Amino acid sequence: MAKMPELKSEHIWIVVTIAFLIPMLRPLNTPFPMSDVTLEIYKIVESLPEGSIVVMGGGGVFAFDIESSPGMISCIKQMARKGIKLIAVPLWSETPQFHKYVIDAARVDKDKYGGPWKYGEDYVLLPYIPGPSDEVVLDSFLRDIHKTVSIDLAGTPIDQLPLMQKVHSYKDISLWFCPHWGFVPVIRIVVAKYNITSISFAQSAAYAFFSPYMYSYPGKVYMTNGYIGGAQYEKLAGDKGLGHMVIDSYTTLSIVTVAVIILGNITMLSRMREEEK
Amino acid sequence: MISTNPWIWLSAFLSLACFSLFLGDNKAFRWAETTYTASVIGHSTVTGLLVMRDRFYPLYTGAKPILIIPLILGITVLLVVWRKYAWISSIALAVLVGVGTGMSLRTLTSSDIIANTRAVVGEATKIIRGPLTTQVGSIINIIFTISALFYFLFTLFPRGTLSKPLNYLRTLGKYALITYMGISVGNTIQQWVGTATSALYRLIVLWLGLR
Amino acid sequence: MSRTVTYIRIYLARIIVIVGCLSILAGYFLTSPETAGLSSELQLWSSAISGFTLFIGLITIFARYIRSVMNREQNWPFHLYCLIVIILWVPFGFLQGIYSDIYQTLYLSTKITLHITIIGMMGWFVVSAMYRTFRVRSFRTAVLAILAIAMIFFNAPYLTTPYPVFGDVSYWLLNNPQMSASRAMVICGGIGGVILGIRILLGLERGALRMTGGE
Repeated sequence: MAKMPELKSEHIWIVVTIAFLIPMLRPLNTPFPMSDVTLEIYKIVESLPEGSIVVMGGGGVFAFDIESSPGMISCIKQMARKGIKLIAVPLWSETPQFHKYVIDAARVDKDKYGGPWKYGEDYVLLPYIPGPSDEVVLDSFLRDIHKTVSIDLAGTPIDQLPLMQKVHSYKDISLWFCPHWGFVPVIRIVVAKYNITSISFAQSAAYAFFSPYMYSYPGKVYMTNGYIGGAQYEKLAGDKGLGHMVIDSYTTLSIVTVAVIILGNITMLSRMREEEK
Repeated sequence: MISTNPWIWLSAFLSLACFSLFLGDNKAFRWAETTYTASVIGHSTVTGLLVMRDRFYPLYTGAKPILIIPLILGITVLLVVWRKYAWISSIALAVLVGVGTGMSLRTLTSSDIIANTRAVVGEATKIIRGPLTTQVGSIINIIFTISALFYFLFTLFPRGTLSKPLNYLRTLGKYALITYMGISVGNTIQQWVGTATSALYRLIVLWLGLR
Repeated sequence: MSRTVTYIRIYLARIIVIVGCLSILAGYFLTSPETAGLSSELQLWSSAISGFTLFIGLITIFARYIRSVMNREQNWPFHLYCLIVIILWVPFGFLQGIYSDIYQTLYLSTKITLHITIIGMMGWFVVSAMYRTFRVRSFRTAVLAILAIAMIFFNAPYLTTPYPVFGDVSYWLLNNPQMSASRAMVICGGIGGVILGIRILLGLERGALRMTGGE
């Protein structure tokens, strides 16, 4: 075998750029199968009675949480359709912006987009709640919500919001969503102490860390796997967003990545053979 | 068609400045980096002001005057920046450390150690019944968990009569971790692909309108 | 500062750590309303104190960058630009409110765009890094490379749509061999965390209260 030249990083980057641009300019609409856990999460939300109060809470970095956004946006649309109420509880400083982003992207607000949800009655955005750790904040919040938080994100006292008048502690919460990296504190307090079912549209890197907890608390902790899980949830909700776009990109990038790894090994083998000769 | 929204143009220029790092360090990337720093600090300051309004609302309304104590302690935390006066913040930090330690002692024990150990023991019941894939999976779960635990806990390897068989267990633990790394690296590719797609979407679709 | 005052300060801080820790534990294990009340109050106090940490970045950046601009150090024009952006950003954000659409648009167009782009660039770097690092030189690297390639393929829709069994294999790999090693890490991390907590309580970890050190 002739000695293969070592590829420069710039050459690989050009190929990767082309692999990204092809599905971006011409959507491939790649079909993909459904997974059991995504279907189960969808059914859990479908089974909630109208008027149930669900919390979207946790802490994470917006740029990483974008991986959780496809599933969360579709889920918000599903909840708005079913008349379920939502409270957003941010535990990191960037999280209020992410919560506002997913709610705006779902276009469920009555005043802004003519959707089914009215702010203050159907959904509330709470401000960032700091603490020495997320567990301390979650414990304080679930024990007594009105003692922990005084105003909403806009500065309105929460006693004046109709939705917040109905919820006082963990007893009033039906389900907890965590579209963030910080799902472990939610499991430790929300699931382990207060026995509330928690669902995460987990990032693919986070799935590796969170998966043991799914088996530690069976039937109480559910997770989807990264963009693939998000795309599956979009499909169930009848949506087509970032998740579908990423599936298309993944179709081309997966081939390029594996080809690059195989090429690297062929290059190494050809050099070894040359050295032996 | 190309966007006429000035925010999308700003976003596009910042993205392009960031991507210019592929050509090497340059002033455009420095500009993007500095804008990032400024926006992070600006946002955390704005958030901090809102937090002050929320956390001390009962103090402002007179409902809970005792909150003056955490207000004073919080102000002392700011002095941590100056080495000469950092000692003043020690009491405030002690409150944070004490509360955080108490919470972590309780939660780590119950959910990380006990719940996971209980789950491993529970896997043993799945070995003898259920579909074949579940049985094999349970066996692998138990063996890999115990061997990986052994590898972590006995980093300084004990020598003695049992060292040879235990060495095999340690090697198995090493391969359990390699298995974990290989599978998680392969699974995480979708995260990089997705974030890059989102970054390119802003340029190609939102800014240039090429789709 | 006199040694007596330092001595009192160090031990006062340690007592506060122990009281804080024990009150949280007592609030969980005991059903007395007094312990629950004390625990809840301390949690609220710690939340209020933590809010001030958001300003530490502002103070640090201003202190460093003002010195840089005044002394005309390297990159001082960028530091001046940073200070100007912060000075404009803070009143704008405070007056408009972080709930407002205009602030959200500003934030998404600057910080989020930059952060997503920086992380997105990893997509390129990861592929070129895989070209160099995923080379099979031993049995260990073979296991690593084969499993990574297998997962990349088993997640791919062009394989899982015609042959759904590959999707099931992908989930099986994630929820069995990978999960078991991750579980070991979680258990060990938990043990480590508990030991660290006990060391803090016993005063062996002076780094936790680094401002109280200083003999």
